[in-house]
Amino acid sequence: MKRIRSQIARGSAELAILALLAEESLYGFEISKRIEERTSGALHFTLASLYPMLYDLEKRGLIAGRWEANPAGRDRRYYSLTPAGKKELAPLRREWSFFFQALDRLAGVSNA
Amino acid sequence: MPDERAPDWSGIVREHLHTMDLPAHQAQQVVAELSGHLEDCYKEQIGKGLAESQAYQTTLNELFAMRRLAKKIQQAKRKGELMNPRTKQFWLPSLVSLATAMGSLMILILISLQPRFLGRSPLQMVLLPWLALLPFCGAAGAYLSRRGGARLPARLVSGLFPMIVLFSVVGILIVTHFIVLARPHLPFISIWIALGIVLPSVALLLGTAPFLKATKSKGIA
Repeated sequence: MKRIRSQIARGSAELAILALLAEESLYGFEISKRIEERTSGALHFTLASLYPMLYDLEKRGLIAGRWEANPAGRDRRYYSLTPAGKKELAPLRREWSFFFQALDRLAGVSNA
Repeated sequence: MPDERAPDWSGIVREHLHTMDLPAHQAQQVVAELSGHLEDCYKEQIGKGLAESQAYQTTLNELFAMRRLAKKIQQAKRKGELMNPRTKQFWLPSLVSLATAMGSLMILILISLQPRFLGRSPLQMVLLPWLALLPFCGAAGAYLSRRGGARLPARLVSGLFPMIVLFSVVGILIVTHFIVLARPHLPFISIWIALGIVLPSVALLLGTAPFLKATKSKGIA
């Protein structure tokens, strides 16, 4: 699948990160790999796009980062969803669902 | 490109993010996290069977537009903050130590002017209590500066900031003394310097000193 390089990708990145962290705590590199795998490469985070977004979400209190010792090498900074992040995720999911349904009604994207 | 040993990702990231203006401890954490990411990328490329030089080059591509990244990280980390680092680390703490030092001096002078205290000496009513309060003023400045993530020189200057005013006041007194009197009285000048500069400096330094120790880092590269 072609990579989506548009505002949609940027806008959906926040949802992707929050949804992933709702399942388990992950560190930056894992987050980017998981998203790439789960979307078959449609969503791809580079270092320059991932970390500013993580720091922004952290600053807004939606995720929290903590350093964890890694016996195999460097310490990792794991991110997890905060209660505020959980609260934010539900309406975000609804908004995106609503958006895709509206788009489908308009352009029949699910049949494309 | 270093083929025999692992690349120094921390050094590479630090070099690329030198324009990033964040408090030292925050910058250190960002460097540690990003270099860890690059190291993972590099190992992944090696795992895919790429030669070290190719893996290194592919990983370096992640650093594309690093200057913009520095700005974006800075914006993300600072979003919602009212003050820039210099204000938080230096100007505000300095203002606090200055305001508390001068404020307490004024209050003590006003109290000493009350009719019931008129018989007592200024040394007993103003100077000694003020010298006892000054360590707290210095401590307040140095503590706020350290909390803002400042390095040692900024913490020291923030704690000792009231000395700028005291130097000016004593300096003006000494200059005036030399201008007005044909034969300046050197013992007076020595007393002004001792009471107006040396003792307050020592008192401020006593309060500042505990906050000059290095803060514990999180053990990151």
